[in-house]
Amino acid sequence: MSKKEEDFSGPVWNLTELLERVDNDQELLRELLNIFKEDFPQTIQSLQSAVNAKDLKNSSRLSHTLKGMLSSLGATRAAAAAAKLEALSSAGETASMEGALNALEAEAHRLLPELEAYMAEVRH
Amino acid sequence: MKILIADDEALSRRLLERTLDRAGYEVVAVENGKQALEQLSKPEGPRLALLDWVMPELDGPGVCRAVRTRSEQTYVYMVLLTSKGSKEETVLGLESGADDYLTKPFNAEELRARLRVGERILLLEDRLVEARENMRFRATHDQLTSLLNRGAIMDLLARELHRSHREQKSTAILLGDVDHFKLVNDTLGHVVGDEVLIEIANRLLAAVRSYDFVGRYGGEEFLVVLNNCDPAFAPGRAEEIRKSISNLVIQTAKGPLTLTMSLGLLLSSEWGKKPIEELLHEVDIALYEAKAAGRDCLRISKPSTAVELPPATLPQSVRLRH
Repeated sequence: MSKKEEDFSGPVWNLTELLERVDNDQELLRELLNIFKEDFPQTIQSLQSAVNAKDLKNSSRLSHTLKGMLSSLGATRAAAAAAKLEALSSAGETASMEGALNALEAEAHRLLPELEAYMAEVRH
Repeated sequence: MKILIADDEALSRRLLERTLDRAGYEVVAVENGKQALEQLSKPEGPRLALLDWVMPELDGPGVCRAVRTRSEQTYVYMVLLTSKGSKEETVLGLESGADDYLTKPFNAEELRARLRVGERILLLEDRLVEARENMRFRATHDQLTSLLNRGAIMDLLARELHRSHREQKSTAILLGDVDHFKLVNDTLGHVVGDEVLIEIANRLLAAVRSYDFVGRYGGEEFLVVLNNCDPAFAPGRAEEIRKSISNLVIQTAKGPLTLTMSLGLLLSSEWGKKPIEELLHEVDIALYEAKAAGRDCLRISKPSTAVELPPATLPQSVRLRH
């Protein structure tokens, strides 16, 4: 991926990879999506506060947590966005952090509807 | 098999937990390194561990280092989970004591395969420990009777004498010799002789408390150490031990057999601080006195008695019951 573009390669949500990881266990998949729905908004909110306050330590920690959560879920692009913010926070590049946060939020906006749609589909 | 998962992030933790549960593991999941270390420090704790690198309280490499500094505990096979990919960090992780590392997000098949490697290592360790324990037992026990062997009971006796002297307690040393054992071997054969020795060993063990020591001192000689034994009760307990041999019929391949034992007894409190060799020499003299007095009896070794060895009487024939 290019450094200047706030765009990430790969699928928004790699459902195939995730299904393989959960061994086609739909119940587990639903459970993971529920954990995500609960944990993601809290974590990203804390991350926003940390970035705004230029709190490098918490920004690095929280973006790391998001990276793990997103990559486990198969959200390849959002995970890459979180990884970028983590790297910037660790390097202390405060000037670029807000942009990276915006990029992460943009990826999350693409991801969440896909997850919602899937959950609505499997609910019945 | 038990496995520990330590990851502070709930989604990844749940995913791992379910994956390993399905693979047949008994999963213990915790949220930070401190809890991980607690679990791994339990006596029956997991011996396989998947540790996330970045965790609050204590990170994955920190857990590895803490586990590896412990000694005398069973081996724990630890796999670090990391999204970090650089060579430097891989080296750092392995040098902290991890056995392996996996990058997140994991592939379930690879994860299971790597854990099987861990299980192989642990199985190997189990076999080595078992072999070592077997060798330790063989080095300290008599092969025929499984009693302590001469070297082992001498070591224990020396330690016990030291302790009883320090604590001003008394240790009772009993040396017993099966009467006319040679006749059993000569007339009934060595197989019966071995049966007799095994049975006598069992009776001696049954006649003492769990914290006393019983050892095979020589061919048909047995050393019994009664730890912290009140001098007033020692002769009575020695008599009980003698009767446990002479009052009971031994069933052998060649029919029932009655045997007796002569015993010498010494109370360490009456002798002050003497070397173990000297005390064993004295109790041996008491045993010879018992033999001279007609066998199947007990003689007590007293510091003041000047001992003259009486001539040994001729062996009587072994009484066989039919």
